[in-house]
Amino acid sequence: MAVIFRNFKENILRLGPLILLVYICISEVHTQFYYWEIFSFNLQFIIIYYWILRDPSILGYGFIFLCGLFNDVILSLPLATSAMSYLFVSLVAAYVRNATVRSSLFTDWFTFVVAILIGNFIYFFLINNFSDANIKYDGIFYNSLFTFILYPAFWGLFELYKKLIFVRANA
Amino acid sequence: MSTSRDDFGIAIRSALLQRGAKQKFSLFVLILVSIFIFALDNANLKPINFLRSLINDGIYRISAISSSPIKFSGATKDFFVKQVFVYKENERLKFELDQLKKNNLNSLYLKTENDTLQNVLKLKKDSPYTLVNAKVILDKGSPYLNSVIINKGSNSGIKLGMPVLNQGFLAGRIVEVNFTSSRILLLNDLNSRIPVVVSPNGFQAILSGVGKKEPTLQYLPENFELSDKENLIFTSGKDGVLFPGIAVGQVVVGENEVSAKLFSDPDQIFFVSVALDQAKDEVAR
Repeated sequence: MAVIFRNFKENILRLGPLILLVYICISEVHTQFYYWEIFSFNLQFIIIYYWILRDPSILGYGFIFLCGLFNDVILSLPLATSAMSYLFVSLVAAYVRNATVRSSLFTDWFTFVVAILIGNFIYFFLINNFSDANIKYDGIFYNSLFTFILYPAFWGLFELYKKLIFVRANA
Repeated sequence: MSTSRDDFGIAIRSALLQRGAKQKFSLFVLILVSIFIFALDNANLKPINFLRSLINDGIYRISAISSSPIKFSGATKDFFVKQVFVYKENERLKFELDQLKKNNLNSLYLKTENDTLQNVLKLKKDSPYTLVNAKVILDKGSPYLNSVIINKGSNSGIKLGMPVLNQGFLAGRIVEVNFTSSRILLLNDLNSRIPVVVSPNGFQAILSGVGKKEPTLQYLPENFELSDKENLIFTSGKDGVLFPGIAVGQVVVGENEVSAKLFSDPDQIFFVSVALDQAKDEVAR
């Protein structure tokens, strides 16, 4: 019984990032946090990039794809727009993981710029060409900027969380 | 040079095709599936639209349920904040009560007079529109669309383009209809364009959302001047979709632009009424 309970706790801990991603995609939580007119950031990009880069066993590509579909329905975007954007962010993360031998906060942080650019380019391209919606370019710019700036803070938090999972698994 | 290109190729191929121990699908397959779904959604086929409606309804409900803890925590926070300020509020309410008691006698007289006049005119107190009341179930911010979702859809007679009223004032229009839910595009959204008329001078304009709280008035005539009276904005009905004469807001003249202070605050929409039809009764109109 104790073993089952311990495994259950471990599994819940490992599912934490996925639960957070699904929840912010599907709930009313404003993931594009809008305060003081310009401050906003994209938490989904940060979660996907960090976990695919640092520990891909935590976040499956299939779940990322599903979260993208949920997000499109909630935000009334053409279906699979967010899914494609998230998958390309995952692709950059997976590439960086394969190409680098030893990663640090700074390598992760600066390669994250490429992920943000590609992720947002996919949004731009699909919405501009296949949808009637207008895009607020300055809003997207500030959103990308703050997503980039805040990455180290979330990197620190997720590192702590990863250590917690590791400690629990080896206890 | 060719070695680095080879390295890039190997790394990107590995990222695209590798599944690893825990990954059930490769990125390449999922990107292909996404492109396929995107193409199907854009094809605008009837069966696909029907399917999307069903999916939308399901996900909106799940989303509304999953958002309830956030709404509950917000309500709890408001409750505690109110408790903290209860003493001050009590003092203010006592003062207001005294004022209201004084005004009450005057109001009673005016109400009686009003009732009498209405009886004389045989004025009907009905709304000039056939309305369906609905509750906002989801309000999620997005950089692409400023919209809310309500709990009524085509099963209540709602159709695309119908005007949505909040406390009698225009709040937006319907841009997506499912069976049991609909999406309202708010007036301050970047994609919102509403033909309006500025009263009392009768200038025609387009009320355009700019992503901020106050939309702007575009295409005003060059000789546009504000009247000394209240400059109110009403729908003109020129698009043939919205009914004319729905109150929208008040003109605000800024340094470089003329904008509108909306009567219906886009951040405070909880219950709305969708105007299905204009009443046939000429008196009510």
